[in-house]
Amino acid sequence: MSERPLRVVLADDAVLLREAIAASLAAGGFEVVGQADGIDGLVELVGATSPDVLVVDVRMPPTHTTEGLEAAREVRRTHPSVGILVLSQVIETRHAVDLLRESPTAVGYLLKEHVTRISDLADAVRRVAAGESVIDPEVVARLLGRPRAHSPLDELTPREREILGLMAEGRSNQGIAERLVLDPKTVEGHVTRIFSKLALEQASEDHRRVLAVLTYLREG
Amino acid sequence: MSRKSADIILLGIAGGVLAAVTAFAPFIYAYPLAAPLNPVFAVATLIGELLWVAAMLAAYARDAAGRMWVLILAARVVAAVGVIWVVNTSLTWTVWRLSIGIGSVVFAHLVLAFPGGRLTTTFDRRLMRIAYGVLVLSRIGLALVWDPQSADCFPRCEVNPFVIWPSDELAWLFGPGTTLLLPALAAGVVVSLWRHWRTASPALRRTILPVAVVAPLELGVASARAIASLSQDAWESVGLVLSTSPLAFLHAAIPAAFLAGILSARLSRGAIADLAIELGRGVPLGGLRDTLARTLRDPTLVLAFPSPSGDGFVDGDGLPVEVPAGADVARGVARLEREGELLAVFVFDPAVEVEDPGRVQAVASVARMALENERLAAQVRAQLEEVRASRMRIVDAADAERRRIERDLHDGAQQRLVALAMRLDQARGQVEGAGELIDATTGELLRAIGEVRDLAHGLHPTILTERGLAAAVDSLAERAPIPVRARVTDERMAPEAEVAAYFLVAETVTNAVKHAGATEVTVDAELDRDDLSVTIVDDGRGGADPRRGSGLQGLVDRIGAVGGTLTIDSPPGGGTVLHARIPAHAR
Repeated sequence: MSERPLRVVLADDAVLLREAIAASLAAGGFEVVGQADGIDGLVELVGATSPDVLVVDVRMPPTHTTEGLEAAREVRRTHPSVGILVLSQVIETRHAVDLLRESPTAVGYLLKEHVTRISDLADAVRRVAAGESVIDPEVVARLLGRPRAHSPLDELTPREREILGLMAEGRSNQGIAERLVLDPKTVEGHVTRIFSKLALEQASEDHRRVLAVLTYLREG
Repeated sequence: MSRKSADIILLGIAGGVLAAVTAFAPFIYAYPLAAPLNPVFAVATLIGELLWVAAMLAAYARDAAGRMWVLILAARVVAAVGVIWVVNTSLTWTVWRLSIGIGSVVFAHLVLAFPGGRLTTTFDRRLMRIAYGVLVLSRIGLALVWDPQSADCFPRCEVNPFVIWPSDELAWLFGPGTTLLLPALAAGVVVSLWRHWRTASPALRRTILPVAVVAPLELGVASARAIASLSQDAWESVGLVLSTSPLAFLHAAIPAAFLAGILSARLSRGAIADLAIELGRGVPLGGLRDTLARTLRDPTLVLAFPSPSGDGFVDGDGLPVEVPAGADVARGVARLEREGELLAVFVFDPAVEVEDPGRVQAVASVARMALENERLAAQVRAQLEEVRASRMRIVDAADAERRRIERDLHDGAQQRLVALAMRLDQARGQVEGAGELIDATTGELLRAIGEVRDLAHGLHPTILTERGLAAAVDSLAERAPIPVRARVTDERMAPEAEVAAYFLVAETVTNAVKHAGATEVTVDAELDRDDLSVTIVDDGRGGADPRRGSGLQGLVDRIGAVGGTLTIDSPPGGGTVLHARIPAHAR
């Protein structure tokens, strides 16, 4: 735990939901330093409040399509040190992969319904603040479960598939080991085998690993 | 014998007499002229006069009610008056003297009025008003002041029975002085011809070309003669040469040009006969306008039929078309009716009627039957077009409604449910012993959220609007239970085309899985010129038939509504191939 509470700016046009998220964040020990009901002035708000993380909804006025993603891009460009957690109502793997491809560190893409638990939301915000990538498990599940005619994925053991999924969610070896109650060394061994089975070059940094895995799953 | 034929024969005899008089009268009275009479010149004159008669008869046959033949007849009478000097009296000599110059003015009138017989432009009307005004005033003046006894009379001195105030100066002014204005008239005619030419349609140009070429030559020669006649020396060196040399054959070329022009316009009556034959063979529906435009030699022809809804007009394809109001002078309008009911309206280049009056009505009458067929076909097409447009509107409205509901679900129900789930989790610590209940309720809520999301997605996938067809099909492929290989163009298209193509793919993939038991689907969607060409192939059981079951028929309808076509090949046991062509851009 850090000595000071993490500062968060929240942007969502749905008032009810924004307030619920703000309440969850407060309950999770975060300081909500700014709220916006749209993308107008969001960059300025971030500049004025210098938060650790921006939590932003994808769909916002005026067109209710991907305004939130555009705003996230703009904030990343102008304030690269601010972590960005994008919340979505729909699962679009393309959005998640595009987001990671453009800026592979300190970003997250989560379905709104997966942050209804205070602990899940808090975990995601903290990981983004720490520079990790956070990808919604359902996005990963869809990519992993995508029907394929013939694929090296078929050769993975169930355990290896599980670990591949956790890698795709942005988890580090340490995180995976904790999640599966395994020895970190064991996880490392699995990871090496997975990469060799998929003929992927093993990335040294975690965030590069996420992107490599996601890209493989999406295009392979 | 019809009355018109009798009239033509009478007119021909009268013309023949005038021609004979004009050509041979000078031989009847062999007055000692400055130069001997030239038989060659006489023959040339006769040929010219007979050609004039032919042109007059052709003009009469073409348009008996028109003025062209009257003008030619008037010009021939004036020409015959030009030889009245052979009658050796003072009166005839004076009349002959006074008649000099009338011929040139009437000729100018003839040229400007060709081929319709009327002066069509303000410029022409002003020019001729001035010419006739000067002519009449100068002849009256000359009659009152010309005294051949005192003047240096040439070629013969006689007595003017009308003279009141003899004056040599005024006589010169009203006589040779006024003749000096002829070059000005000639210049005016040339300018007018040039203006006619510039505004004429190709058909009209063909008609006026011969006249436009020879008339300026004739007027030039006449002007030269007028100037030469001012002095005896000049007359003998220039005037007589112009009168007697082979240039005299120019006189014969003039009526030949008029005759050629009139006959060229008349040739289109031959075209009407061709039209009757062509119509007899049958013109494909929708092709009548082109056929009639060819016959009328008017590529701008518009054929309009009353629209089935009763207001406005439609063309042969059933599309709305403008018909100018009656006051429009730039376009000719002819209405064809039957028992008070409007059958069709011809909107044409007015030059067509100038060139050959009554031609449009003649063509319309010949084509009446075909026009009736065409009108019915055009009205059916217009109704089809209306149905198509209304089908499109219905699909558009349905799409808009689906998108509205999708948005309401996402922005309303779904947001509220998510907020509710969060509040519930926040309540967790505050209510003792309610953990299990909260977990169960949250689980239910999350399922509800998932269902709302799927429902909204099924209504209208947001990614289709955001990123287009390729991204939406890609997303669809991820969700499909069997492999879907998709090669889809990245181009953005009209929203209705994208939506139609997307639902075609979605529905087909569902069918392939549910009904055909396919293990793989291939989707190809690419732009082929203005169409999006979509081919979907599965390896299922086949045997799909739009006539059985409403799903496929619904797809056929939906693609049809956006102006596309859908073909399905699904032999039993052989897999299914769907091919659709959808207009990619808004019409």
